[in-house]
Amino acid sequence: MRYLLRRLVWMAAALLGVSVLIFLLVRLLPGTIIDILAGTEGQLSREQRLQILHSFGLDRPLPVQYVLWAWNLLHGNLGWSFRTSQPVAPLLVSRLPVTVELALLSAACVTLLGLPLGIVASVTRSVRLKGFVQVVGLLGLSIPNFWIALALIILASYAFRWGPALIYVPPWQDPWVNAQQMFLPVLSLALGLAAVVLRMTRSSMLEVLGQEYVKVARAKGLAGQTVLVRHALRNALIPIVTVLGLQTGFLLGGVVINEQIFGLPGLGWTLLNGVYQRDYPVVQGAVMLFAATFVMINLLVDLAYTYLDPRIRFQ
Amino acid sequence: MIRAGQGVQALRGRIARPGAGRRTEGPFGLARRSPVAAVGAGVIAIVVLLALAADLITPHGPVAQIASPLLRPGHGFIAGTDELGRDELSRLIFGARVSLYVGVLAVSIALAGGASTGIVAGFYGGWLDNALMRAMDILFSLPAIVLAIAITSILGPSLTNAMIAIGIVYAPTFARIARGPTLAVMNLAYIEAARAIGAPNWTIILRHVLPNVSAPLLVQTTVSLSTAILTEAALSFLGVGTQPPTASWGLMLNAARQYMLIDPWIAILPGVAIALTVLGFNLLGDGLRDLLDPRIPTM
Repeated sequence: MRYLLRRLVWMAAALLGVSVLIFLLVRLLPGTIIDILAGTEGQLSREQRLQILHSFGLDRPLPVQYVLWAWNLLHGNLGWSFRTSQPVAPLLVSRLPVTVELALLSAACVTLLGLPLGIVASVTRSVRLKGFVQVVGLLGLSIPNFWIALALIILASYAFRWGPALIYVPPWQDPWVNAQQMFLPVLSLALGLAAVVLRMTRSSMLEVLGQEYVKVARAKGLAGQTVLVRHALRNALIPIVTVLGLQTGFLLGGVVINEQIFGLPGLGWTLLNGVYQRDYPVVQGAVMLFAATFVMINLLVDLAYTYLDPRIRFQ
Repeated sequence: MIRAGQGVQALRGRIARPGAGRRTEGPFGLARRSPVAAVGAGVIAIVVLLALAADLITPHGPVAQIASPLLRPGHGFIAGTDELGRDELSRLIFGARVSLYVGVLAVSIALAGGASTGIVAGFYGGWLDNALMRAMDILFSLPAIVLAIAITSILGPSLTNAMIAIGIVYAPTFARIARGPTLAVMNLAYIEAARAIGAPNWTIILRHVLPNVSAPLLVQTTVSLSTAILTEAALSFLGVGTQPPTASWGLMLNAARQYMLIDPWIAILPGVAIALTVLGFNLLGDGLRDLLDPRIPTM
């Protein structure tokens, strides 16, 4: 409990750090925000420029600006989009479900593909299967997931003459159309990451299977499956969960890229369009949201350790 | 792809193995002791040679429009032409230059910045250690690509800025990897002995700490080269990295998105180039890890 509290405090501190970092980065922009906002620098008089600066609060000292921004942030106010003047927070919240759906489906796919294959690879005696798993593992590590996405699109349209509907449909409107739209993005994201999980599962299982207690369990006549799942897998899971946790970073990164490729209007798509249009309030907000999600998942991974291995107690 | 050291308490202790940096006996020694590493080194050598000799061996320049657009492979062009009628093969070879250049410089930035931060943190300990590592943790609380996108969006999209962004993104990994072994050797007798004979701090760091840190750093450098090349490709693919008309694999894939259903080749070949190069670095990294630290099992 104490540990959890400390971690939560540290999580808040890290997010505070991220917010300062992002704030400074945006303020250190070459050229002032005015130039981006108005885009017609030469046509504005000095007074007009000062007035715009004032209306955005940009004429105040930097620390004051930061405190104001952070204060608004804490109240769920992420500012207004430079382009559409709409508040950023509701915009981002409305985009969140797409990203969450894509990320969760991919994570599930990664686990379902990587874990069983890794276990099979660690116990099989078939040289061919071992070799296959090694090659797949290395390829998955080396092939960029956005290229898998392109290859899948080409494959789908050439071989199957199939392409999903172009405009995103939420699952609660039409689950079938939605599933079709999510199929390729999820698959292309999951394939690469599953290879990483597969590699880690295999090496982690091999290490555990060589331990004395596994031999003992075998010697006392337990069924092979019981030994594998109850004795070996349970202990091999810690490094696997660590890797799964570490892969969240890549998963979220892949989500950004895949939303762009497949035109899914999620958080990553919003972030990138914010970047293209130099809409900094949107960029700031989206990056903060990504940081919050990432930090939270890392906390959950650490908490999962205590569940998997009661010997681990955090102080 | 594994960002080592991120909350991985389990792995941290394993990296610290004093005296792990045994010297290999030339390319043939490496080939005998780790065929995997040798194959990786071979692939990398070929890519490096192609990149260096790009001006000499490519039939056309990377930006010269010399034929009709979207020719399939064959027709006098081994890899066909791209959407602007430029020779795809020449662009692929020049693309190797961009990938390696960005990869090597970005990882150098990360290595120099990260490793020195980690060693200083571990060496001096106390509040400095805390401050430096917490700062690194802040960089770690963002997914790599998102942080890189944020940095390049602010610096402006360009090859150099993508390089700087990737360097910043990967620095914390190096800091964590360098700090562990540094902490481990700080308690050893020879550090105390060096202090006792009055060796200045920087001598101790260079002569006694650095050799112990170099093996894990070497492995991480190789692995990071592969992820840095992937990240550059991703950033350029998203349009926030290398800018046209420079031939970069990621950028070529980006351009190919519009035409890939007409001519799939322009979307396939750059991806193969990326995958092969990254595979080379991954093989070398796997092999080196097996050689330098047998306690971490890899495939």
